[in-house]
Amino acid sequence: MKALGARIRNFFTRWRRREPPLPFPVLLERFRSILARNNEILELMAEMGDKLSGDYVFDSQYIRFSCRKLVDLVHHLIHDLNVLSKRKYMDLYAALERIQWRLDGILAGRPALEDVPYTLFYEDCNRDWSEEVGGKNANLGEVRNVLELTTPEGFAISTRAYHEFMAASGLTVETISRRLKGRGWNDPQGLEQALREIQEQILAAPVPHAPAREIQHCIETLARRAGREHLFFAVRSSAPGEDTEHSFAGLHRSFLNVPETEVFQAYRQVVAGIFSVEAWKYRADKGFWEHEAAMAVGCQLMVDAVVSGVLYTVDPAQPQSETLTVAATWGLGPPVVEGSRKVDRFRISRDPPHALLEMHVIRKDMALAPNPEGGTLWAQVPESDQSKACLNSSQLSLLATTGLLLERYFKKPQDVEWAFDTSGRLVILQSRPLRIKQAPEADACRIADVTANAPVLWSGRGDVVQRGIAVGQVFVVESDEDLRRVPPGAILVARESSPKLARVIRHVRGIITDVGSPMGHMATVAREFRVPTVVNTETATKILHTGDEVTLDATENVLYRGRINELCYYELTQEEVFEDSYEYRLLRRLLRHVTPLNLVDPKGADFNPAGCRTLHDITRFVHEKAVTELATINMAGPHLAGTRPRLLKAPVPLDLRVIDADGGTRADSDARTLQPEDIVSIPMQAFLSGMVESDLWERTPVGMDFSSFMSSMSRTFDAHRAPLEEVGLNLAVLSANYMNISLRIGYHFNIIDSYLSDRIDDNYIYFRFLGGVTDLTRRSRRARFIGEVLARWGFRVEIRGDLVVGRMKKWSRPVMERKLRMLGALVAYTRQLDVQLVSDEEVVRHLDRFMRLLEPLWEGPDHSGPEGGSHEQGRQDTNPDPGR
Amino acid sequence: MNKEGKTRILILDDEPIVCKRLKPTFEKAGYEVETFTDSARALERAREQDFDVVITDLKMEKIDGMQFLSEVKERSPATEVIVITGFATMETAKESFQKGVFDFVAKPFKISEIMDAVRRAEEKRRAAGR
Repeated sequence: MKALGARIRNFFTRWRRREPPLPFPVLLERFRSILARNNEILELMAEMGDKLSGDYVFDSQYIRFSCRKLVDLVHHLIHDLNVLSKRKYMDLYAALERIQWRLDGILAGRPALEDVPYTLFYEDCNRDWSEEVGGKNANLGEVRNVLELTTPEGFAISTRAYHEFMAASGLTVETISRRLKGRGWNDPQGLEQALREIQEQILAAPVPHAPAREIQHCIETLARRAGREHLFFAVRSSAPGEDTEHSFAGLHRSFLNVPETEVFQAYRQVVAGIFSVEAWKYRADKGFWEHEAAMAVGCQLMVDAVVSGVLYTVDPAQPQSETLTVAATWGLGPPVVEGSRKVDRFRISRDPPHALLEMHVIRKDMALAPNPEGGTLWAQVPESDQSKACLNSSQLSLLATTGLLLERYFKKPQDVEWAFDTSGRLVILQSRPLRIKQAPEADACRIADVTANAPVLWSGRGDVVQRGIAVGQVFVVESDEDLRRVPPGAILVARESSPKLARVIRHVRGIITDVGSPMGHMATVAREFRVPTVVNTETATKILHTGDEVTLDATENVLYRGRINELCYYELTQEEVFEDSYEYRLLRRLLRHVTPLNLVDPKGADFNPAGCRTLHDITRFVHEKAVTELATINMAGPHLAGTRPRLLKAPVPLDLRVIDADGGTRADSDARTLQPEDIVSIPMQAFLSGMVESDLWERTPVGMDFSSFMSSMSRTFDAHRAPLEEVGLNLAVLSANYMNISLRIGYHFNIIDSYLSDRIDDNYIYFRFLGGVTDLTRRSRRARFIGEVLARWGFRVEIRGDLVVGRMKKWSRPVMERKLRMLGALVAYTRQLDVQLVSDEEVVRHLDRFMRLLEPLWEGPDHSGPEGGSHEQGRQDTNPDPGR
Repeated sequence: MNKEGKTRILILDDEPIVCKRLKPTFEKAGYEVETFTDSARALERAREQDFDVVITDLKMEKIDGMQFLSEVKERSPATEVIVITGFATMETAKESFQKGVFDFVAKPFKISEIMDAVRRAEEKRRAAGR
């Protein structure tokens, strides 16, 4: 296969060489089409992401239609790049096919599982894996890894293991739906019978070799870590969707104190639990489709519980009472969870220091305990403990603070299962949303009263990225260092919505930025984690300071001074019918293969077609490569025949010929020469004015007079080293918004490629510099000089030997015009600079001199930031790095 | 309107998600709402009861939305019909203007957009003295 691939590639390479080059206008057209599609794709992706916000009503037709359209656009994008590059990136088709295959699979109800491991230790579980390890395991992973609370050691068995297990048992989605077909709720007995048969088949089936080996490996690893020979597990159900939007409370089975040798049997029993009549009915009622039925399983080391119980962070009977309720008993938790016995009950205030308001202590003569052989047994409680409350006030207080932390993090009142172990540690066994009846209408009025009297910091400013309420303390992030110190639960305030912030998003309650795009990467992540976020407020970092207490209402887009807990509570009790829907889950699943951006570093080893894992990745890759392709087209090629170059009569001795590809000049078409005022191309106007107005041609850094400089110019190139016709002329290809200029001034080789319009997302500058007259050391000094200047101006810079590449994109037109004028000045200044750079000190001296010379010309800092960028950047004052 | 003076709305869309989202929203805003995913049933209901506002999709299985709205308008010309349809079918949607459709809202839409459309339909009815 490999040999065949190589032959095909060779064929294409040879074909490429033989193929006549395409006319430049055709290439330019392709390039423009790439830019236009790039924007269309990013907009469509953002639109699809918006639909998850809850503001919109959409249906499955929309989801299918949008996916098809996206794939179509990306396909065209790849095609255009391959025309532009002469099929250099054919591998992108395979990358697209891989993604499309996954999308089709999800739409058809068979999600791709081959990338999913069979098992995951809890240290690797988080909400990103909720589809694969189920809601319960994913939540527990978050509790452990993000909130750093104590949870049982253990691992999750994924839905991939489930699907392979079921397939090996002869129970695929198709066979199951065939067996259940026609046995709806109008034939309860037939349905029950069919479900029972499926359960029996599951209980008798062997777990396939590959997942079985991994499960065994996990058990052995845990035994090694625990330093114990025999382990006992709690084996718990964790279906996708369970314990997140849907409780499935009590419908799936869990087994306590399972000896390691019986884990596989317990696994089968938990899996069979999906096919109980009750669970099946619940799924049908909740709008789950048959093909969504899947089960992940949690295997947790048993906690040696002294006391166990359940905590509700809001009292479901009296949601307004501002109390938490706790039920607890000695030993293991099932008597509390199942409600099978009377247990101790406590009511605690939600407000710190969480006073105990009520306590009902009953007599507890028996407790559920682990049987040393496996399973559980009822044991006698020592006489002295029987009438004692099983929790003391410090334990209750710890439960309250922990419960509220979980509630804040999961953004819903929580139903928490917990235990205190023999060493006195509080262990969280699971945490899931607690369903509370929606607040009555009167409450909405009360909210209106409360907010009417609260001090408003601003209202309706900026763009809402994610709705919701956040109450908390402001933390202003100014540096990467700050980012590491963001306290959990803070409201993060920053100047830009940089992708860097994405790292801490899950820890914070809200985000406010001065600038940023609602379409950008950070916005996507904020929506994903449903963190209330407002961008483009312009003044957040000026008005807000670290430690300020605020309430961000990103639903109504108002920022209040101080805490308005009522608002937060109101939000917490809103029912979320929307997130229960199949369409919501479907769109979310699909977007995981669409919006995440993995290719963030063009210099990274994975910046290639094989590294493209999402449609966003491909789009990003194509954009980057398209700019490079167009900028490096050999302008001397014969394909330019037909567009007649005309000489530009500039007030500087620059021997430049201009090809007008489309609306870049306004001279008579018969004219043999062009005047500077004939140039209407936006980027060329800026560049040319910089070259001329900087007045740096005369201020030659070389110690020669103007005439000797002119003679240097007229020589243009060392005839012994490279014949003129091979190197080409000084050439500019222009259109109304585009310029590609290739300069051979002195002995160096310079390309500036730029597209400039009022659409910020299209704008870019690509600057490339190579060659020189003197020895290599001096030349690389010049490269350093240019590199340093470009970096100071905010370009993303790469230097290799004497090659300097600077890139910048997605800034507003005035900013880009300014940068082009500066580049004009730089080109004028550096044309013979290498002759002067005899020492490293000279580099520094010239840097200072050049910057000083430029200062009076275009004063003032940049005002406009990258507003519409989709691959947005973290911009700092000195090095904006906007070129990524 | 019903006895309590609430505006009666019938919603027909074969995708349950649309009904599921719109019903609680309109009820919260004080409307009386009936939803249908089956156009035959919706038609049955529309024959026994006049509605103030009808919200319907155009492209559905069994009978098509155009047929449904034509019959609704024929039976009860005072009923204002709002068409909700995917932008792929917007062209056919425009045809239905001739059938006396009050307004279109392209799917996907914001809750506020459909709410506005309904309020404008109510205003029109009020202005007509109904």
